[in-house]
Amino acid sequence: MPLLAGIALLAPTVLHADGYGSETPPAITNLSVLGNQKSIRFPLYPGVEAYTFLSASNGAGPFAVDTNFFIAPYTNVLALGSNAVTNVSYEWRATNNSGSSRFYQVQLTPEASSNLLAAQVLNRLTYGPTPDELDRIHSIGPEAYIAEQLAPWSIAENAEAADTGIATYGALMAALDEVVDTNDARLPEFRGWHVLRAVNASRQLLEIMLQFFENHFVTEYGKSYNWLNNNYTNILRQRIAARMEYAENQRWRAALLNPQCTFYDLLRISAESPAMIIYLDTVTSRGDGTRIANENYARELLELFCFGVDNGYTQSDITEMSKAWSGWRVRIVHPTNAFDIFAPESRTTLDGSANYNTTNLYGVYAFNYQSNFHRNGIKTIFPSKTVPARFGPPWAGTSYQLVLNNGNADSTNTVADGYQVIQHMANQPFTSEYISVKLCRLLVHDGFPNPTTSTNLAEYAFYNYPQPSLSPEAQLVHDCMMAWETNSPKGQIWKVLKTITDSELFRSHAAQGQKIKTPLEYTVSAVRALRASTNGTGLNGSFTADTDGIAISGSSLGNPDDANNPLLRMGQMLLFDRDAPDGYPEDGAPWINAGTLGERIRWIQSYCIANGLLGHTGNVSTNDAQNTVSNPVRLLQTKLPASSWTNATAVANYFAITIYPGEGAANLQLYRDAAVNFLNTSDTGTSSPFASLTVSSTANSTYDNRVRGMVAVLMSMQRFHEQ
Amino acid sequence: MNQLNIITRRGFMDRSFKLGLGVALSTLLDIPLVVRRALAENGIGLNGKKVLFIFLRGANDSINAVIPSRDSGLYSLSGNSGTVRTDVRPNIGIPLDAIDYSSSTIDSPVAGAGATFAYSNAIRAGNGFAALHPSLKFLCPGLLANDLAVLHRVGYPNQSRSHFDSQRYWENGSPNNNGVQEGIFYRAMVESGLAATAPLTGVSFQSALPLLLRGSGVAMTNLADPTRYDLLGVPYPTGEAKADAALAAANNFTFPHKQQRDLLASQYRNLSQTLDLFGGIDFVEQDAQLVDDASTDGSGSAYRLFPTANGTNGGGTATKYVVDTGAYSFMKNVRAAALVLNQTDAIVSGTEVGGWDTHNNQGSTSGTHANLLSRVGWAMYALRKYFLRYGKGGTNVIPGTNPKVGWNDVIVVTMSEFGRTTKQNDSLGTDHAEAGCMFVAGGSVNGGIYGCSPSDAVPWLTGDTGSLYGVQSRYLKRAYDYRSVLGKIIRDHLGATPGQLGRIIPGYANPAENLGVTSPAAALDGTQIMGEPAII
Repeated sequence: MPLLAGIALLAPTVLHADGYGSETPPAITNLSVLGNQKSIRFPLYPGVEAYTFLSASNGAGPFAVDTNFFIAPYTNVLALGSNAVTNVSYEWRATNNSGSSRFYQVQLTPEASSNLLAAQVLNRLTYGPTPDELDRIHSIGPEAYIAEQLAPWSIAENAEAADTGIATYGALMAALDEVVDTNDARLPEFRGWHVLRAVNASRQLLEIMLQFFENHFVTEYGKSYNWLNNNYTNILRQRIAARMEYAENQRWRAALLNPQCTFYDLLRISAESPAMIIYLDTVTSRGDGTRIANENYARELLELFCFGVDNGYTQSDITEMSKAWSGWRVRIVHPTNAFDIFAPESRTTLDGSANYNTTNLYGVYAFNYQSNFHRNGIKTIFPSKTVPARFGPPWAGTSYQLVLNNGNADSTNTVADGYQVIQHMANQPFTSEYISVKLCRLLVHDGFPNPTTSTNLAEYAFYNYPQPSLSPEAQLVHDCMMAWETNSPKGQIWKVLKTITDSELFRSHAAQGQKIKTPLEYTVSAVRALRASTNGTGLNGSFTADTDGIAISGSSLGNPDDANNPLLRMGQMLLFDRDAPDGYPEDGAPWINAGTLGERIRWIQSYCIANGLLGHTGNVSTNDAQNTVSNPVRLLQTKLPASSWTNATAVANYFAITIYPGEGAANLQLYRDAAVNFLNTSDTGTSSPFASLTVSSTANSTYDNRVRGMVAVLMSMQRFHEQ
Repeated sequence: MNQLNIITRRGFMDRSFKLGLGVALSTLLDIPLVVRRALAENGIGLNGKKVLFIFLRGANDSINAVIPSRDSGLYSLSGNSGTVRTDVRPNIGIPLDAIDYSSSTIDSPVAGAGATFAYSNAIRAGNGFAALHPSLKFLCPGLLANDLAVLHRVGYPNQSRSHFDSQRYWENGSPNNNGVQEGIFYRAMVESGLAATAPLTGVSFQSALPLLLRGSGVAMTNLADPTRYDLLGVPYPTGEAKADAALAAANNFTFPHKQQRDLLASQYRNLSQTLDLFGGIDFVEQDAQLVDDASTDGSGSAYRLFPTANGTNGGGTATKYVVDTGAYSFMKNVRAAALVLNQTDAIVSGTEVGGWDTHNNQGSTSGTHANLLSRVGWAMYALRKYFLRYGKGGTNVIPGTNPKVGWNDVIVVTMSEFGRTTKQNDSLGTDHAEAGCMFVAGGSVNGGIYGCSPSDAVPWLTGDTGSLYGVQSRYLKRAYDYRSVLGKIIRDHLGATPGQLGRIIPGYANPAENLGVTSPAAALDGTQIMGEPAII
């Protein structure tokens, strides 16, 4: 008889009460015997510290630990027609086993669930783990860390101390309040400011929410620029257009720092933003008389900003709603009138003359309501419509018809049409559902499809809440909608976020590492991954990795051919300048293909090369990481005892677990082995023991190059695109 | 019913058990069943035929592009000409000349000694009804040579007027199904059986891989900038080989299964396979090698086919620019798409051009929309000349290159998610509507105007209750389904079997959709459609 062994399965040694580890442990899928060699294959289990193999001479046991197995590659050739595909994969192998037939089991030791949650928290509620934040979250525990991030108003913000560039940019941006200032702050400075906050903020979740809502209520800098009077100088147009983006961002920041911030608060800021009024063409819309109002804003308000596509509205609702927005315009007013929506055009001239040409006016561009362009009279939106049955209680069957009746006269009262529309829509279940879905997609995983009320679309059944067996995803969306509905005031963002972070789904393998980083998340997380304060002060200049912000978000003004913008190169992620109103995608597939991966890896490699050498602001290419720099040797010197500095295993292990926390030591074994091998090999591929190198953080020293190359390889792997 | 790829926690754990083997490499080890099946049928990719697509994102105003010049719903007709109706498109309508628009003449504004480079009004397109926007004047040589098909009234049942939905349906080939996350050309490449083994089958040159080429099983390629497609290595350059080797080995590492890992694994493999492939192509055209065969404006200079700077645009003479100066990155992408089709074994390549969402100030014979049309018109012209001159069997093959495809074996096709409202809005623009137009060109194409004539099998009805107002009294009503156009190309040009076509465009497998018929029939929503146009 062949020596074929039976297979069996053991439960994991530790069963968790939380979301981690409640899955079925791995099953051995393949066991083969060839002479003295036995090979076991099974799918890896997430977050495992150690795999243990046990064997017994009969299926009933007793099973004893078998230490002979090691991980090893095997080649797999698959015939495919006349072609063959060759792959290398890994299995566990014992080569000294000549005994008789045995039964085998694999047992796993899970990583502590607090470590897994810590990794999940740093990947979702922050722009990625830093060495210092890893230390801190292990010290205070992930629950306390979550509670902190859910209350940013009570976190002392250290960002401006950590990077003085923020204050420099911030001062420039703040001075953009008027059209006559002479400083040079434009879109690149604002983008840099945004990136530096993402890298440095103590209130990380606030920054993530700002990026989320900025991208949700998307506007396009370039459209504002084009709308502005072209008699302005080019630089002035750039400043004014950038200011519109900055102004709405500042208002959202202030709103989100209110513990009771509602979705309506954020929606209203968007509706009143000159950038939005210009972006979706309300600025030229006319509904007066029998004129046909522009549908663009009404459509996207329903489709993208509130209800979601095919979710509770029809074309006639768009047409009717578009009338409500006619008259919402943008005008240059005196700064004292910046928040008076009925203010006249500024009559203060730059040269003091009576020349009232636009470009001679002193003031700010602001939302301005001009009732003479408005379609007066009664408007009925969502006529006789009721919430569909799939929503269940408390919403199903309720009417959401909206009648606007603000008079038939040309009066400032008619501005109420627009405000009533957003007040009405902000807390409809369609809106709470769609926004909750998007937030879950951001913080949990991509598998939350867009909701719909069209029964012929497959997504209908997914969010059919009264059905008995809801998926965990649909149940979480429903929980978020209830948090939205039942708190007063309704629609509190931080309450919805807490619902998500409290959920089992958020705290499980189903969420951990399941998302692809956007280019912004990828670059910022790369800086953070190697960024520790060498003296523990957290002050500007003490860090082992750094960026000036614009080296990530681009130094020129959105020129599509500008190769000095890593976010552009990694998939056209032009901050504050998205041309399509659906915002940058949150799901992974649109960001990942060979071209963007090439740019990502190239950037990581440049970032890891010592600044000034070929490949990093050397002369091979100007399109590199530029002022985004790293010093991994200083990082390991800060975090490891000197006795470990030439210990390849210790160094490789430190970077593996720092860059990939929560992956599990056993699952990182191949990474660690590759990193150790890299450290012990010269550039030409010959053996060169790391232990014999002279420790140095000097650029181009052998030790420095060796460590930098190893870190670059670790960060170039597939896993680094996941969060 | 439920075609969603929703991976719940339970779902993907279950899935990993089914895959069984080293999970990280499941895409590489588990060649999708459909690929194995395709090998038995063959067809696509083996006949040397190729496709180049251009997606016009934002919804092209087809009524100003391909103009129904004899429709009283748009013009106040007077004799054989007319004037733009002031209650329909007072500011944006395209004026007619005082010439006979019922004539079968194809005006020739760019060919020959009598070329009128500054053509300014609607151009007669040869069927006595349709006319072209003057910025599309470079389509005329194709019409004259009978290798350009202009298709009007193209849409699909229950048309969505959302950009994002409608683009998705055009790309996934499944109208009103948001759950299908695979593109038409992706599926065509999978059905070819080559996608899992050839390094390159479908490729795009734009900011991100379009849904047309996206799918979860095998990797298609997108490049934003092919000229910087290589890696560095740390330190550079001495450590490059070592770094590359380490990365290549790491691609095989085994991982706990994650939602996005198959995507990453397949694209990492795609990256390593295509790095060398693109290294040998001169994407920046160092030596001004790609030029027209004759002057287009009588000035004696042969223009660059793909202008990417002012100096290469219309001979460098501002008054004769063939495209607006904002077109250069698009022209660069068109050139890359053409080069890759001609110099590699890729079967499908393409790009996109944005900015078509002209709600506001779209312009008339000049302005935003006119500029955009000039980009597409010139791109169609340049691609035709490129493959005629530099393609396989071409007249001016560049020494040292080994062209893989000529004009007779290429089809260029444009798409756009929908048309725009028949009446202008009060922002001097147009809003989202229904049917639009497509251009299909290639040496094997039966040129001409399709779907823009009262004598069509489903006639273009004129007047205030005619085709221009055929849906809700404000939108152009469709007479073709875009899937019939793409289906015709994929089957009769690329060589798909009927069985494959039914999997590439699922509607073909449903007789009630009537996508493959050649005489008028009812679509799912009852609208009469003409089935497949005889463009090939």
